[in-house]
Amino acid sequence: MLKLFLQELRFRRNGIIAWGLGLCFFPVVYVGLYPSFADQLPNFQEMMDIALYQALGISMASFEGYVASTVTNLIPVILAIYAVISGTGTLAGEEDDGRLETVVALPIPRWQIVAVKALALAIALALILAITSAGAGLTLAAISSQVDTTVTPAGMFWSLMAAWPLVLAFAMISLFLGAFCPSRRIAATLATIIIVASFLGNNLAGMITSLERIKGLFLFNYFEASAEALINGQQPADLLALLLVALAAFALAVLFFQRRDITVGAWPWQRGRVPA
Amino acid sequence: MSEHVIETRGLTVYYGRQRGIVDVDLRVREGEIFGFLGPNGAGKTTTQRVLLDIIRPTAGEARLFGLDCRKQGVEARRRVGYLPGELALYDSMRASQFFEMTASLLDSAAAHAHWKTLAERLDLDASRRIRQLSRGNRQKVGVVAAFMHQPDLLILDEPTTGLDPLMQQKVMELVREAKAAGATVFFSSHILPEVQAVCDRVGIIREGALVATERVETLMHQQFKRLQMTFAAPPPAGAFDLDGVEVTGQDERTITLKVQKNLDQVLATAATLGISDIETIPVTLEEIFLAFYGKGNGGNHA
Repeated sequence: MLKLFLQELRFRRNGIIAWGLGLCFFPVVYVGLYPSFADQLPNFQEMMDIALYQALGISMASFEGYVASTVTNLIPVILAIYAVISGTGTLAGEEDDGRLETVVALPIPRWQIVAVKALALAIALALILAITSAGAGLTLAAISSQVDTTVTPAGMFWSLMAAWPLVLAFAMISLFLGAFCPSRRIAATLATIIIVASFLGNNLAGMITSLERIKGLFLFNYFEASAEALINGQQPADLLALLLVALAAFALAVLFFQRRDITVGAWPWQRGRVPA
Repeated sequence: MSEHVIETRGLTVYYGRQRGIVDVDLRVREGEIFGFLGPNGAGKTTTQRVLLDIIRPTAGEARLFGLDCRKQGVEARRRVGYLPGELALYDSMRASQFFEMTASLLDSAAAHAHWKTLAERLDLDASRRIRQLSRGNRQKVGVVAAFMHQPDLLILDEPTTGLDPLMQQKVMELVREAKAAGATVFFSSHILPEVQAVCDRVGIIREGALVATERVETLMHQQFKRLQMTFAAPPPAGAFDLDGVEVTGQDERTITLKVQKNLDQVLATAATLGISDIETIPVTLEEIFLAFYGKGNGGNHA
């Protein structure tokens, strides 16, 4: 199994490097350019007072608010796209293009196939975040003398790494949808809808009272992209909740993959029945 | 333990309401090469996929080495080499990496040692990435992966697809060698000479049902030819009313015959009628088989 796991990581190597460096661009640019326009940001704050920006948690009142509104807010959303691409590509994508048939025909229990692929996906997400977070931390270290903040480079690193449970949850949901839906296309569409609904729903819940009651359904609710979270870190209970969602989605992926007719491309309720 | 390496009873697969295979009772004995024949969509691949637990039966049961294909599938598949008909590989890997990974997953020391020999025999450059390989060479990768752990059972779906005639011959040599070493081979093919050359028995599946199984010698004894002959002038009606000869098509100067017996008389008659052209139309094994079984209505389920 180790060989399959290493191979899974090898398959993802280029994606890890490309996404890691690509995502790095955001903190490097946003954090790196902060000193050059820090004195102009208070002018933007007036604009930030409008409800929509408040709902989106955007604030330019401080360095921490600026970083939270740009980097911490954006990185999990963008990385969630990778989670969907990779999560649905892992089982559904390989089934669609026929490669999964070769693996399933080998003497490996199906749950192990899902477990190895899920583990590789989780590590890939952690590595991408680590590259991005390191970029943010190093950039802050480079400009720290020009910025008035209590956030340390290490604190910056860990505040972004804290997005891992959130993107992991999206990846495992995508993995599950891949084992559940007839095709990767449908799985990816559903996963994208979940992410968009979760992001917008969580933000709009701050504006619309009726949504407040269902805020707990939106996964972004469990990841705080705020100045306070940047300084004090995420709530452990929130991170635990996200990890539990990831675990539940993984368990469902195993369950449905165990029962799946590979290469058939059908919903679980479309299993064959002998005509009466 | 059962003497049958492959055994299915009432095996039925429906895809929703669409028929896959129906009530397939199949028995393949240890050490034999069994050809599985039928037109596209007949259910050959479905049957093979059920045996490997890739898809699950709607009804009935399937066993390999006496083991339930689903409940004891992992144990059974340790002894199986599989070459799928629609071979899809991990393109970014080198062929050698693919073989090493497969050998590790098979937990087979023999496979680690054997794949290089097989690759050399098939003239396959295993150092190249799979995406750089031609269709034929990719097929060789699949063949090597199926044979490399010297399995007790080989399930091969159109194993010579995309290979040149020389390579087709080499693959058939591998099949014969596997049989000589005691392995059982279950393979589907459309190539009549290939089946004729290596198979002990064949089974034909038609519209999801196993029509019959038969020994190859018995089958080939029943072989017929189809001739299309063109004459200078329209041949008289009833000119070819001979025992074992059937007129299957006729227009003004051309006549098509299905000839099971009396070929010499057919040719002699044609010569007297002023034949200007003659063509032998290839006959598929399925046609032979169905002719033998009176369009699939009977047969010895041997």
